[in-house]
Amino acid sequence: MSSRLWAAGATAAATVAAVLVLVVVTTAQRRYERAFALRMAATTAAYVAAVTPPPPPPPSPRRVPRGRRRAAVPAPPPPPAPAPQSPAARSYDLPSLLTQAHALRTLPGWSSDVEVYFGTAPLVDATAPPLSPDDLPHLAAGGRWRDGAALVPLNDRAGQEVVGAVAVRPRPVPHGPLPGGLGFAFPAAIVAVGAAATIAFRQHSLRRGGYVGAALLLALAGYLDVWAAARQSTDRWLVDTRRLLTEAATRLPPPRARVAITDLAAMVRDGEIVVGEPAESAPRRVRIDGEQRAVVAVLIGPGRWIELRSVPAEAEAPKWLILLLPGALLGPLAIMALRWAERTPVRSRRETVMAWGFLAPAALHLLMFTVGPAIYAIYLASLANFRALVRDPLTWNSFVTSAAYALYVPISIALALAVALAVHRYRERGGWGRRLVSVAFLLPYVSSVVAIALLWQATYHAGSLGLGRPDWLSNSHTALLALMLVSIWAHVGGQMLVFLGGLDAIPQAYLDAALVDGAGAWRRFWRVTLPLLRPVTWFVFLTGVISALQMFTLVFVVTQGGPFPLHATDVVVHRIYRTAFGPQALGMASALALMLGIVLLIFRWPQLKLVRRQERHA
Amino acid sequence: MASVTIRRLSKVFDGGVQALHELDLEVRDGELLVLLGPSGSGKTTVLRCVAGLEEPTTGDVVIGERVVTHAPPAERDVAMVFQTPALYPHLTVRDNIAFPLELRSVADAQIARRVLEAAQRLGLESVLDRLPAQLSEGQRQRAALGRAIVRGPQAFLLDEPLSRLDAPLRIELRGELLALHRALGATMIYVTHDQTEAMTMGQRIAVLHEGRLRQVGTPEDVYQRPADVHVARFIGTPGMNVLQGRGRGTGEEGRVIEAGSLIIPVELSTYEGELQLGIRPEFVGLCAVDKGVGNADVLVVEPLGSETLVHLNAGGQSLVARLPGFAEVRVGTRVGVKVDRRRLYLFDAAGAPLA
Repeated sequence: MSSRLWAAGATAAATVAAVLVLVVVTTAQRRYERAFALRMAATTAAYVAAVTPPPPPPPSPRRVPRGRRRAAVPAPPPPPAPAPQSPAARSYDLPSLLTQAHALRTLPGWSSDVEVYFGTAPLVDATAPPLSPDDLPHLAAGGRWRDGAALVPLNDRAGQEVVGAVAVRPRPVPHGPLPGGLGFAFPAAIVAVGAAATIAFRQHSLRRGGYVGAALLLALAGYLDVWAAARQSTDRWLVDTRRLLTEAATRLPPPRARVAITDLAAMVRDGEIVVGEPAESAPRRVRIDGEQRAVVAVLIGPGRWIELRSVPAEAEAPKWLILLLPGALLGPLAIMALRWAERTPVRSRRETVMAWGFLAPAALHLLMFTVGPAIYAIYLASLANFRALVRDPLTWNSFVTSAAYALYVPISIALALAVALAVHRYRERGGWGRRLVSVAFLLPYVSSVVAIALLWQATYHAGSLGLGRPDWLSNSHTALLALMLVSIWAHVGGQMLVFLGGLDAIPQAYLDAALVDGAGAWRRFWRVTLPLLRPVTWFVFLTGVISALQMFTLVFVVTQGGPFPLHATDVVVHRIYRTAFGPQALGMASALALMLGIVLLIFRWPQLKLVRRQERHA
Repeated sequence: MASVTIRRLSKVFDGGVQALHELDLEVRDGELLVLLGPSGSGKTTVLRCVAGLEEPTTGDVVIGERVVTHAPPAERDVAMVFQTPALYPHLTVRDNIAFPLELRSVADAQIARRVLEAAQRLGLESVLDRLPAQLSEGQRQRAALGRAIVRGPQAFLLDEPLSRLDAPLRIELRGELLALHRALGATMIYVTHDQTEAMTMGQRIAVLHEGRLRQVGTPEDVYQRPADVHVARFIGTPGMNVLQGRGRGTGEEGRVIEAGSLIIPVELSTYEGELQLGIRPEFVGLCAVDKGVGNADVLVVEPLGSETLVHLNAGGQSLVARLPGFAEVRVGTRVGVKVDRRRLYLFDAAGAPLA
């Protein structure tokens, strides 16, 4: 590949990445605009429903003229039974509806155009095309976006039937703070492509050229734009809804002299209205009970202030990073791949691509079922959950219990090593006795943990091996110990097998040399065998501790975390399980799982180093 | 230092394989004896029996005046160097060399002095605090030697210590080992399958073949006067040509041996029937067709610079000629074969030399 062609390819890759980010940003902005419009339309529909009176009862032919006849009637007829109301009676007074719709259009400070349909007929702009008759039944299923406007159903006054629709078409507003309403993403994209072109055509290394930084900056700029759009959608709704609420306070049909807050609250079902105080007009962000809220103050009468609250849309804006970051980093990755392809000879390139082809299913699986859920868990576990967990004594109890439980590992390791040494000696003499011993120790290791758990539960219930009548499992002081005993019994076999492999791997020359040098069996073990087994011992220890900290089945089957109330065997994973299916659900459980994950990482780290060192030696 | 004597030593392994057959061998005090043999000849087993790592099935091992046949290795006071350096990877060079002394509860100050002494002798002072993994192959094998010499044992047992090194390093260490032997006046048994190493190092060479001791003698002895056809074949690079032949006491050409396409006149008084004829490659020459003792086809030509090895097929018998310099011989041609009649070795069909 010529270097010019290569540079062009790299620049193209960077451009694609930049465009991808811009597409994500634009999509997000449009989504937030639509979300605003749909929300606004729903609020408007509720407003219309609230302020429009029902149609007057159909005039009876004899009641003309009205005024005099009424006076003449001695006793008014009994009022009609409130239910069942006829569909017509639940509907709206058309002239009033027309008035309200027109009023909406001239509402000062509104950032959208509105259209109200009664049936399929447009009321505000009479020359606009009507809805098709099919639309209304469809709308009953929920609002939709059509032709640049949010279309939501207008229900009858009882909220039972769709009698029309409200369409809200948001007027275009500048999305970004830069001149021309531009966001940060566009200039950042240009900078990123420029940086990519520079390193591509000047043959700079990816590290030097600053393109990675530019790409990250692009992701950040895109995120800022998305965040701003999210915030804007909430703010627009707050401001426009404030306008509606002020309007509603004066228009709500009599007989109320003062509008009730509950009437207004009915109009904004996805927001919250509380009695408020005078405040500046711009929407603000305040923390209420530990939760971020977007609020705006509304004047609904002389000296009467309320506060309109909403969950700020930008609170969930970070989810867009899942698209923005990979999108932006696609450029550097593509350039890295191109660089690699340029440097690598044909055959090893082909082989690498093939290798990744074979790896792809596993990698994808890993990504979807391991990395994905892990990220989701982080997403679920909020800081508040951590705070709550730290305060919960059961959390600490579970960690202490797990740590105490893990103490069985050194014991089982010592036992396993002793057995391995014996079997190893025995094997040198040859014979099937060794196999018998191995199988005896391995059987629990390969058995189902549930089966083992049930077996031991029965054993303990039957009198704890004759070592004392009381059941060890029902005593808070001995229950954990009893489980540790089971674990030792179950793990010695597997650990012995690893040690046996380690013993086999020790070259005979080391032991011969020690023998000739005059070392006895004891010295040979402490000065030669054990030091040479150190990597194996570390491996067994670390994997043992890790699996001990992850233990669940045994507790779940045998004690369920008891005996209570001390939670004597309530290990961490069991606590996670209890939390996940308890009242506080997944967020707390995720937070707890993350805490355990961090502890496990501490043990995983040296283990990985160990594995890597062994690979180097091999 | 002490002599090492092996008496009627036999070793049968658990699987029923007999590795050694009634071996008798005496290594004199201060002697460097090379145990030479192809792989599987039992030379390492001999060494392990002397070290005490294997227990002989029958026979005795005597070190100095003491019969140690069934004594554990620790009581024999011998040092062994293995094919792999067998340095403990978790100990520094210093600690590795000090290890046998520590096992014997030698005082710390003395240990330090003796380790330093051994290190100086082997040029290891600068790497004493390194781990084996940080050493070169040569340094590693030197450190293993250091661990052996540090405690001044009755005898050194060296089991192919140089076989894993590359050629230049091997030659260098060979010289150092010889110097070490002279300086220490140590009794050494040196096992190798490399006959060049054996020729250059050994005061005496003991040749083992299939668990039997074939010959013990100086390098010249085993080269010039091989005790049997196995020794003859094994010593020398390449080894002696051995042709399967048939002696004829009478004939038109006088007394001859027919071997393949060759008819070689011999000065042997009388011998008839099946026999084996040995001749070293340097005493085989080429000449024009029909001018020598017979004709042969050239199979392979190996020019080595100072000499050229020509592999021949003489009527089904393979034969190597060693010619000086670059010889003008083409593969696939037919050539005449000359032999130096004074340098012939005759063996009977079983391989024993004929007078």
